[in-house]
Amino acid sequence: MASGVMGFLRRAVREPLVHFLAIGGALFVINSLIHGPDQGPESTAIVISEGRVNQIAESFVLLSGRVPTKEELQVLVDDFVSEEVGYREAVAQGLDADDTIVRRRMRQKLEFLIEDSAANEEPMQAEMLAWLDGHSADYRLPERRALRQVLLSTDKRGASAANDALAALASLRAGADPAKQGDASMLPPALPLTTQEGVAGEFGVDFATAAFAHAGDDWFGPVASPFGQHLVSVVSVEPGRAVTLSEVVDRVRTDIIEERRNDARDAFHARMRKRYTIHIQWPDPWKGLPDTPDPNPKTKPIPEVGE
Amino acid sequence: MKRLAIAVCAAALLAGCGPQTPTASTQTEQTPATPERPAANPLKNAYFGDLHLHTRNSFDAYIFNVRASPEEAYAYAKGGTIKHAAGFDMKLNSGPLDFLAVTDHSEYLGVLPAINTPGDPYASVPYAKDLFSTDPKQVNAAFRKFGDALRTGARMPEFADLRTVKSAWHDTIDAAKRNYEPGKFTTLVGYEFTSAPDGRNLHRNVIFSGDTAPELPFTALESQNPEDLWKWMDQQRANGFEALSISHNGNGSDGTMYERTMWNGKPVDRQWAELRARNEPLTEITQVKGTSETHPLLSPNDEFAGFEIMEWYIGSTTPITKFDGGYVRKAMKDGLEIEAKVGVNPYKYGLIGSSDTHNAAGSYEEDNYHSKVGISDATPERRGSAPPEGKTWANYKPADNTARFATWGASGLTGVWAPENTREEIYAALKRKETYATTGPRMKVRFFAGYGIGPQQLTSDEGVKNAYAKGVSMGGDLIGKADGKPDFLVVAMRDARSAPLQRVQIIKGWLDKNGKAQEKIFDVACSDGGKVNTKTNRCPDNGATVDVKTCAYSQDKGDAEISASWSDPEFDPKLNAFYYARVLENPTCRWSTWDAIRLGIEPNPDLQKTIQERAYTSPIWLIPTKG
Repeated sequence: MASGVMGFLRRAVREPLVHFLAIGGALFVINSLIHGPDQGPESTAIVISEGRVNQIAESFVLLSGRVPTKEELQVLVDDFVSEEVGYREAVAQGLDADDTIVRRRMRQKLEFLIEDSAANEEPMQAEMLAWLDGHSADYRLPERRALRQVLLSTDKRGASAANDALAALASLRAGADPAKQGDASMLPPALPLTTQEGVAGEFGVDFATAAFAHAGDDWFGPVASPFGQHLVSVVSVEPGRAVTLSEVVDRVRTDIIEERRNDARDAFHARMRKRYTIHIQWPDPWKGLPDTPDPNPKTKPIPEVGE
Repeated sequence: MKRLAIAVCAAALLAGCGPQTPTASTQTEQTPATPERPAANPLKNAYFGDLHLHTRNSFDAYIFNVRASPEEAYAYAKGGTIKHAAGFDMKLNSGPLDFLAVTDHSEYLGVLPAINTPGDPYASVPYAKDLFSTDPKQVNAAFRKFGDALRTGARMPEFADLRTVKSAWHDTIDAAKRNYEPGKFTTLVGYEFTSAPDGRNLHRNVIFSGDTAPELPFTALESQNPEDLWKWMDQQRANGFEALSISHNGNGSDGTMYERTMWNGKPVDRQWAELRARNEPLTEITQVKGTSETHPLLSPNDEFAGFEIMEWYIGSTTPITKFDGGYVRKAMKDGLEIEAKVGVNPYKYGLIGSSDTHNAAGSYEEDNYHSKVGISDATPERRGSAPPEGKTWANYKPADNTARFATWGASGLTGVWAPENTREEIYAALKRKETYATTGPRMKVRFFAGYGIGPQQLTSDEGVKNAYAKGVSMGGDLIGKADGKPDFLVVAMRDARSAPLQRVQIIKGWLDKNGKAQEKIFDVACSDGGKVNTKTNRCPDNGATVDVKTCAYSQDKGDAEISASWSDPEFDPKLNAFYYARVLENPTCRWSTWDAIRLGIEPNPDLQKTIQERAYTSPIWLIPTKG
């Protein structure tokens, strides 16, 4: 093992030669990696610090639940040396330059740096209040209504359900007991506070629309549904309302940080783009698209596939 | 100065590279900030959910290009919009579900995403590149590699390290914890045990009662023998992890799901029957891959038996040759016979329906169908509802997989009766089998039996209270009396967004005097005022029609609500029997007809143009008193 490491080390210090060979041709590079000379300048040292060794030992503990043996630790450290050497060599050869994964990872690291600096500070109360003010529609609670309904079943009454409903409506308005009107069914005679979507799920869309359009607490109808004709009264209305910060503080906090991250990232990219002149050569089906991109990009972090 | 900046950056970098907190999909429907938990209803409410769903963590779903996570599956079930593998939006037209279990394949759980993650040790398997294609042909080839490995039950040696499985399993559990909203939406922790010896499907879903679970699931790579799964479940129960298993796709088992013999080939004995009944109270009777209720060859007198029949091995074009042992009704009959011999009925099943979607999103609606295996069946052409581009139906010869996909259905859901929508109550309802299955629509069905509970209706609180007090609900045992007959009460209400109801049937299975199990179907309530013919036990045709050019159906036929109080005209208090209710809708367009209409083409002439959606309740078993 030790001689292998030494071999790697010796090869690692031949950067200029490798560089040259890389330009000369990939085949040559590979050949030289395998058969190349072992001597070179001694200036490039690799020091595996105490901290690094400790870290390696700790990750072993995390994975296996125990402390590594001496032998195990030696193998692990040795492997780390290979990683370091291999990494330096690969970079020296420019293998990172055209590797999509590496490029993506580098960009991601850079963006993490930028974003994290923006996300570091906890949003202040005042900022959260202002945010809520500016985005109240996103947090608004929908209107909910509590209803009572009497069904005149089309199954039981056919076409006369509508007329029967009118008669029942008159009785209800005169104070009759709704439990004694209409036809019993699996539909609930009373609904607790429910959103329009919830009412539509049980009674259909038309019924829900009518129940949420009506003003007043009187009995009204008939309102048609797939079940028949209904008489409806609105027992209580909980208006849709804006929320207070205390109800949604966690969401607001997360949303602010999210936006800060996005803004910081976009600003960074916009700033960096100024350093470059960019020209895009669109191939055929896309010819005619603008040949310079937006100077103020809305960048999205690229999702890592398989994450 | 520069040095300082680098140090700061490095510190920030470390933070940035720490574990990333998963964030919910931005398309998730937002939870109201002050959810008001409705009071529990002692008379119980019907809740609808799916107990069988796959995400990208399932090896096959990932191969089908599905990238949606458990988090996204919950977002969809809560009414949100998520992306299909082929890029289009998926959203439920009928509103959110009440509960969901994410049940990814436990074998190679999370392994495929790992293979596709740069830097992961699994990314170096030699065939990694071939696995992730957008060409359905290559996808099928890759799928076969894993499918074949599962048939043998041996773990692929390159995936012996279970760290990936463990981490994906924890993600599944975490997603269930995060998305639970007591009173509003229940999440259940679960997984699929994917045993298929020689391709014969013995799959089970394992559902846990709580939000904790053993460190690793027990998979078909530990043992293909479901008996070992149930023994493991017994052990886990002793360790405090209560769970139940749900068998599914008996229709794809080639007669092996509900056998009369044990794994070792010997006839079922008492201990085995107890082991199975204790751990597997439920079976899935309907899902995308067809119906497992009964087959026309097993129930020749059931004219509604030919519903969404699937006659292939799972994930293969091998035809099924043995239907006996693969269907639930026959199993329930066999269960009576086995009970007579060994004293315990191993097939005393409650019924549920689910999707088995691999899109992280169930496709329960005929007019909103996206089938279930990602890009493999994402287009009408690939699922056999449209001929290949530029061709007509003349001389149509579908590719093997397309022929299979064409027979799949837009199904199904589980209905449970529970006092409130909490994990405890939903699980308790599953355990006591107070469940029913639907083929997609959200009909409400109550079913009771008891002595002296009729003819009261179940449409009032008093009626339901009375039925619970004096009788038993679906899934229960009714202890027989020497004299008199029990009453059966059933009521069903249509789904406001689906078609009216046509009829309610009670399906009876019993052990005759010679110890042979029999079955008989009684129509017990007809729509439109029809009366059951007492000779044929059938309702008159209600004349409902469908215009297959538009999918418009009769508005004036069928009932919104249908109910019956019935007693068995052939009742014999000395015989073991079971009774379950089946509710039929009026005919409506099948998904393949909807696909054709959207494309402006003729529907596939080889496929049924219309279907009758239905609900099946768990049975009530009549236990005769001895002597």
